[in-house]
Amino acid sequence: MLANAVTIVQDNWLLLLIGQYPNGPLGGLAATLILSVLGIALAFPLSVLVALARLSHWRALQLPATALVYGVRGVPLLMIIFWVYFMFPLLLGVSVPGSATMLCTLVLYEGAFLSEVVRAGIQALPPGQMDAARALGHSYSRAMRFVILPQALTNMLPSILSQFVSTIKDTTLGYVINVPELTFAANQINNRLLTKPFEVFLILALTYYALCFSLTQLAAWLERSIATRRAGPVTQPLVVAQ
Amino acid sequence: MIRFQAVQKYYGSYCALSEINASVAKGEVVVVCGPSGSGKSTLIRTVNRLEEIQSGEVLFNGQNVHARLRSAELNRLRSQIGFVFQSFNLFPHLSALDNVVLSPWRVNAVSRAEARDRAMALLERVGLASRALSYPAQLSGGQQQRVAIARALAMEPPAMLFDEPTSALDPEMVGEVLNVMRGLANDGMTMMCVTHEMGFARDVADRVWFMDAGRILETGTPGAFFGNPQHPRAQRFLSDLRSH
Repeated sequence: MLANAVTIVQDNWLLLLIGQYPNGPLGGLAATLILSVLGIALAFPLSVLVALARLSHWRALQLPATALVYGVRGVPLLMIIFWVYFMFPLLLGVSVPGSATMLCTLVLYEGAFLSEVVRAGIQALPPGQMDAARALGHSYSRAMRFVILPQALTNMLPSILSQFVSTIKDTTLGYVINVPELTFAANQINNRLLTKPFEVFLILALTYYALCFSLTQLAAWLERSIATRRAGPVTQPLVVAQ
Repeated sequence: MIRFQAVQKYYGSYCALSEINASVAKGEVVVVCGPSGSGKSTLIRTVNRLEEIQSGEVLFNGQNVHARLRSAELNRLRSQIGFVFQSFNLFPHLSALDNVVLSPWRVNAVSRAEARDRAMALLERVGLASRALSYPAQLSGGQQQRVAIARALAMEPPAMLFDEPTSALDPEMVGEVLNVMRGLANDGMTMMCVTHEMGFARDVADRVWFMDAGRILETGTPGAFFGNPQHPRAQRFLSDLRSH
């Protein structure tokens, strides 16, 4: 059985890696990675804006941001994919490719979740930080930019990485709207071979596992190193020659 | 320079500050003392409006800090009032030097190079030039508080407020912070200090305010206050201090 799996990889590695490219759209693991990296990269600035709006005293900002977060978090991702998939072409009047639909959905969905991470990161800082910045005469926005966000975002790096892992796993749902990502490629292979579903999906599972496991390990390592740095080094080696 | 006029503050129905009428003159050092929960920290935090008040006025250089102000105006006022916190509140993601540089550079639009030169001079003044590139986590409590004082001084404020600056320090570090404060007082800085350091109050203060239950019960020179307190609550407070 393991030998079968090796043979399948040997015969289909290019399809698993880049899909039918260059004869078709870029797919496979490459598409999965591009979708998740772009997804989290675009979701991140959105999430900072949504978090700031949620924390704002201005209700005109706070209410829509809160509604967005609760709305998105209360609905399954698959449902949002269908909405965007069927609504976008109706609203825009043009057909939208599956991967663009998937990217928009991911940005919206991960952005909503990430905004709660950002909000928690901001609120977890001691209130004295904002007090100190305001007492020095910084405006609210400058205090956020120079004092609060740099600390909050560094502290949140492990959580952002975890959200990235979720994003990678969420890209598999692109399968239902024919986004040619890794799961789609594996299914193509399975449809062709017909008799080896266990081997094919074992390869798929192992690939996702290797990717996600190494990223969660990286997140754990980051978390430890941030904790160490926050506690300060045991020795005090820094002396400046002035 | 700082004047409280009929200041009242409530937390719900709890009266935190009641009928505060007092003032700090230019160049004067006022020490505010009293038992825990008496409203000392709340009072000092109303001066730069980290605490709101329900009625009355707090004037800084003749301007009511609690008036309806545009936020830029409030920020400008705050930048002129140095504030030192009990828990230091240094920015942990910045080196000692950058803690001092940040605000003149970003708030007062001083060039970064000039802000650095002035910051180094200030760190020199608080005895920490050699630790300029250390991060707050690498500094002792006393060193952090001295950096916090340098950070406040960097805005060149005409007055400095100290909110229990030595209460979070190990005993052997209290002296180094008080020495910096003594130096400031000798240079003629207008200061308002909430502190439990009665030795400092005796040596440095021009006047002592004694607070309890949100009121200023007694004000006087250190000699008069420590030698011959008038209010029974102040007498009891001082005898409790002496008994240990």
